[in-house]
Amino acid sequence: MLSASNAHKTHEIAVSVRGLGLTYKTAIDRRPTLKARVKSLGRGGKQTRVIRALDGVNFDVEYGQVLGVVGTNGAGKSSMMRVIAGIIPPTQGRIEVFGSVSTLLALGVGFNPSMSGRDNVFLGGLASGMSREEIENHFQEIADFSELGEAIDSPMRTYSSGMFSRLAFSVAATVRPDILIVDEALSTGDAKFKEKSLNRLKELRSDDRALILVSHAMATLRDVCNDVVWLHQGKLIQRGEPNAVIDAYQEFLQVGKSAAIDEDV
Amino acid sequence: MSAPLQVYEPFKAGLPPLFRYLNSLWSRRTFIAEYSRSELREQHFDSVFGQLWLVLNPLLLSGVYFLLIVIIRGTSDTTRYAHLTATLFLFYLVSNSLSGGVRSITAGQKLILNTAFPRIMLPVSAVVVAVVKFLPTLLVFLIIRTLMGLPFSWEMLWAIPILLITIFLALGLSITISCINVYFRDIANFLPYLLRTLLYLSPILYEASTLKPKVLALEEFNPLFPILDSWSRALVHGQTPKTSYMLTAIAWSLGIFLVGTYFFLSREREFAVRL
Repeated sequence: MLSASNAHKTHEIAVSVRGLGLTYKTAIDRRPTLKARVKSLGRGGKQTRVIRALDGVNFDVEYGQVLGVVGTNGAGKSSMMRVIAGIIPPTQGRIEVFGSVSTLLALGVGFNPSMSGRDNVFLGGLASGMSREEIENHFQEIADFSELGEAIDSPMRTYSSGMFSRLAFSVAATVRPDILIVDEALSTGDAKFKEKSLNRLKELRSDDRALILVSHAMATLRDVCNDVVWLHQGKLIQRGEPNAVIDAYQEFLQVGKSAAIDEDV
Repeated sequence: MSAPLQVYEPFKAGLPPLFRYLNSLWSRRTFIAEYSRSELREQHFDSVFGQLWLVLNPLLLSGVYFLLIVIIRGTSDTTRYAHLTATLFLFYLVSNSLSGGVRSITAGQKLILNTAFPRIMLPVSAVVVAVVKFLPTLLVFLIIRTLMGLPFSWEMLWAIPILLITIFLALGLSITISCINVYFRDIANFLPYLLRTLLYLSPILYEASTLKPKVLALEEFNPLFPILDSWSRALVHGQTPKTSYMLTAIAWSLGIFLVGTYFFLSREREFAVRL
């Protein structure tokens, strides 16, 4: 739920995650069909596979905190973000959210590529529970921040991936949620926009909001975060001061400080 | 510390807390309106020619089918043409709901993966689009009817409850098929054949009263049969529909709506991991 946010005091709890476990079944085929199912009837092959995405994760996020989340691919970072945003219900545990949450791309921007950017912003906002007036009030700011100009009214299938993420970031950061979740979505923006969005994140931090950043860009995390958690195979490995956790994580990866992981947001 | 705004816990049984679900659905009614509007705009129904097509398309269709009847039967009269148009237009309401609804969940993938909202909004929007497309054809039918000189009567008002029953049926079907399509993506490819079969099984190209008793027994299994017959009786013939047909129609549409909605609601929370 997104609504005009109230002021929160620093160190008040924004999100509390207790004993979070997530197990789900998913289809092996990317596009499961009746035809494939009928064909495999005689052979009795397995159609689904069980994924244990998260296992006994505990942590709190306070207002005024910028929490970085690191981990290898498939560590459960995105799943965790979706559970916090209420998109996937947890299998075990309990999550309490004390404020409005906005996930980056949360406003579902670009879900219908044949509609204009403007329509997509409106529809995404309405779907996440904002009122028409709220979106109208924010729209100009969103359009300005994204610097899309006239393109905002052309169908989103004509957008480049950079324009896509620009619009998505603008929406998520402009509606001023109490809790903002950014899931590696900035990597396609150009240098100038990256800097602009980083500044915006820092601005939100000083605003006493809670931010959760999922990223593979270690330099950014060291720069912006004041707390980092490291997830591995669904378990929380370490949490604490950014430099310490990131150093441990990089040592684990045995990649050290190579250029490849310092870039991007 | 204030109370949490949202609490997420594992669900115990199949259904989400219904009161909260309906509440959050109601608070997003503008989404349904806006989504249907932009869907229509995308299909160019906001322009003059788009709207003209909305009326022309079913008219041409009914013309083609009428030709078919004339050729097969040899003769035909005006009532028959009125029956054909009235029932065909209503059939297209159901048919459009199904073909619009089938991909509603899979096409809304991005939105579903990134936003928490009642998923049922998407197939419901598809039905809203179908209803908006249906309304001008109803007007066209009334004009045709007047031109043919068929008398108006109070019994025609029976069409209103029948339309409501049909919308419920369309909702149920759209919700069900959008959910099935998540698990079997090729249902959308089968749908045109299913719809074509349903079209021929329904009393559109013929009238229910002309059917042999044997075939009539088979029609017990066609949910559209009692609806279309009552629709034609009320709107074309200006008679009160058969009570037994009205009751069967209500039973069918409520049954499909409830079963489909239960099926959808018990499944929708895993859509995000199935897409």
